[in-house]
Amino acid sequence: MSDAPISARVLRFLGTLMAVLLAWQFAATLLAGSFLFAGPIEILRYLLDNHAVLGRALLATVQTAALGYLWGNAVAILLAGLALLLPLSERPIRILSLVVFCLPLIATGPILRVLYGPGIGPQVTLAALSVFYTTLVPLLAGLRAVPRVWVDMVQSYGRGRWTTLAKVRVLASTPYLIAGLQIAAPAAFLGALIGEFTGAERGLGILTLQAMRRLDTDATWAIASIAAVTSISVYLVIGKLGRLLWKGAPTTLLAPPLKAPRRHWLRSVAGVLGLTLMVLLLWQGVMDVFGLNRFFAKRPDDIWSFLVTGTEAEAHRETLLSALGDTLITVVPGFFAGLALGGALAALCTLMPRMSGVLLPVAITLRAVPIVTTAPLIVLWLGRGPTGVITIVAIMIFFPTLIACLHGLKQVPKAVLDVCESYSAPRWRILVHARIPAALPAFFATARIAVPAAVLAATVAEWLATGQGMGHLMALAASTSDYNMLWSAVVALTLVAVIAHFAVALAEQVVFARYAPEQLQP
Amino acid sequence: MPKLTPISPVLSRRKLLQLGTTTTAATMLGLNAIRAAASVPVNFQLSWLHSVQFGGSYIAEAKGYWSDLGLDVALTPGGPNAPVEPPVVTGSALMGISAADYTAAAVENGAPFKILAVAMQKNPFAISSLPDNPVNSPADLAGKSIGMATANTPVLQALCDLNGVDINEIEIVPTQYDGAPLLAGQVDCLLSWSTDLPVAMTMQGVEPVVMLLADHGYAVHSQTYIATEDAIANRRSDLVALLKGEVMGWTDYVADTDAAAALTIERYPDAGLDLATQELQAERQVPLMFSDLTDQHGFGWFTEETVAANIETLALLGRTVTPDLWDLSILEEVHGST
Repeated sequence: MSDAPISARVLRFLGTLMAVLLAWQFAATLLAGSFLFAGPIEILRYLLDNHAVLGRALLATVQTAALGYLWGNAVAILLAGLALLLPLSERPIRILSLVVFCLPLIATGPILRVLYGPGIGPQVTLAALSVFYTTLVPLLAGLRAVPRVWVDMVQSYGRGRWTTLAKVRVLASTPYLIAGLQIAAPAAFLGALIGEFTGAERGLGILTLQAMRRLDTDATWAIASIAAVTSISVYLVIGKLGRLLWKGAPTTLLAPPLKAPRRHWLRSVAGVLGLTLMVLLLWQGVMDVFGLNRFFAKRPDDIWSFLVTGTEAEAHRETLLSALGDTLITVVPGFFAGLALGGALAALCTLMPRMSGVLLPVAITLRAVPIVTTAPLIVLWLGRGPTGVITIVAIMIFFPTLIACLHGLKQVPKAVLDVCESYSAPRWRILVHARIPAALPAFFATARIAVPAAVLAATVAEWLATGQGMGHLMALAASTSDYNMLWSAVVALTLVAVIAHFAVALAEQVVFARYAPEQLQP
Repeated sequence: MPKLTPISPVLSRRKLLQLGTTTTAATMLGLNAIRAAASVPVNFQLSWLHSVQFGGSYIAEAKGYWSDLGLDVALTPGGPNAPVEPPVVTGSALMGISAADYTAAAVENGAPFKILAVAMQKNPFAISSLPDNPVNSPADLAGKSIGMATANTPVLQALCDLNGVDINEIEIVPTQYDGAPLLAGQVDCLLSWSTDLPVAMTMQGVEPVVMLLADHGYAVHSQTYIATEDAIANRRSDLVALLKGEVMGWTDYVADTDAAAALTIERYPDAGLDLATQELQAERQVPLMFSDLTDQHGFGWFTEETVAANIETLALLGRTVTPDLWDLSILEEVHGST
């Protein structure tokens, strides 16, 4: 916190704002005539001229986003509680949630539309889907961020898991939940906006589509600005509410080092088989219960015969694997680049607190502006090759990483900080020795979330910009009613996400055994 | 399962239709008399977001053509992630708007569709370029870069095959569906609908050179009306009524396209549309939808010859179809020429 008087701070803020706006207007002038970018003056003019239409659209999108936000987070909180009460259910919950989160809009869109018919059902569902996993994962980490002695104490009073959950874990998880809810706000908004692509009557997503087709750059960027400002406001309000609700300081999480639990390989194999069977049954079950038509709602056996037993199975596999290869080449570097960028920026903000005032709005804006608006700009700068896709993937995942790491880096116990300060340790030493270890659970939680996010981002970028890989394959399959190929692509992407999820979990176990053993407690 | 709703007045209305009452006025009189009868709710799945592209349908709705025919029609918009085929297959939409190539692909994948009528006699796909580097004929494409959704590669391939152009001499640049890459000089030309991106460019003050694929042998019926075999068998009279209202709406449309554009804006103020653009689009789609054939037989018409031309182009697109894909019987009832 700065000690400068308020008027000086306001002046400084206004100065920064002016500088940003001037730079923006300058950039827009340079790109004038390219139909890719608009400056603040044009945007303001458009906003004033069209405030009624824009207002109605904003209201429509915010309404669906808010409903989705409530539903998605409520389900996440319930599932996290269930996982803690019934430890056996945690793995299935994690994997099923991951699978559901992985489903691309291009496959779920038509199904949701057929299930709900006309109305806002699909948009609300898609907004809910885009937040529930990002809340669930940090919440599960937070519910474990409890000193061992507290748990022991509750147990020594003869109380069980329920009391531990209610009296100890809920409190400990609050900062993680707040971080999750904050990340969820822009995500819900974007989910609702993209959800409008499934055939909505009104909303900012509809206006974006029409504006881009009309080559109306001012309109496109005016809508993007509204999206960004809305997301930033909601993000800040939830952060403020969080700070009002949660005044507790982080506790010292003393827990005995644990060896990463080793399971017999037979048990692991049985576990994987069990999970696979569960996913397949659920897939078949959902399709049958709703009586969804096999033309577009394929069952496991359709995909099996399409990829394995059918006459042209080999050709189908070849198409699928070659597209998957193209996608993985961009997903993997994008994933690591996004994580590294998010982590590094969070560290930078901690070392230089003033940086966060500039960085955070930029970060939220990048996440909140729909990718359909920014993709053409990114493509202009970086071309239509893999670099553009990698950048889009990195942008999509660096924001949640940054927020989660910022929260994580604050999870240093006061006692530890006091020790550091009494030795006048420099900031970077505190960062390396105290803050980073404290942030590890949050970092790994965000890495888990980033897995499906990276896959989805890459497919969207491929669809919009490069015309390669799984994004292109799925778009092509959907437009030619080749739903067998579409569902095969969904299965392949889900498998990749699940495997990557287990890889992160493995790395996490090794690290946590030393730095955060409380996370490994059953 | 056939729907068992009809109450006797509706049945008499249906009989009235089937008798093929000759003049519209007489039909209207007869129908108004039984208007009080329960109207049948029907979903009509459009192929894209609301715009004057579906102007005739909005007129049919606004002027009460459908309600006079005993239907309560909901016009459901499409979108980038809202394919037409699933709701039509499941019956949640009675009829949908598609195109012959999409319908052929869906039928190949097991959908029991028939094409009942054709709104766009000429395929709207066009290649737009700038006047100082124009594409006037397919031969001009060689050595140029073209921006398009890669999903449309078969369309370009078919155009090349029809005109003896080597597709390998064209550089395909995957773009989104917007005109910016052409105006920003990233590509030499763009593949899109002639009623869409070229209209936007004209509105922005850049008059592009537009080459319609249909003028170079590309014969694929577009904005076609599709329904399932089940619907044709069991909800025939509803389909006839739906298509009849549609025909009446489009007949009014062509008489005054500006009115259709104005109605679109009025009906969908939240769709992000602009009146001047809609007026120009409304005007530009007229030559695609109306021809000597429709003048002679009425809106939506097709013949054995146009179907045969379609089958040839579809073969170039990798779709094997037979004339069975088209079913003129509903439209014949609509136009009363059985």
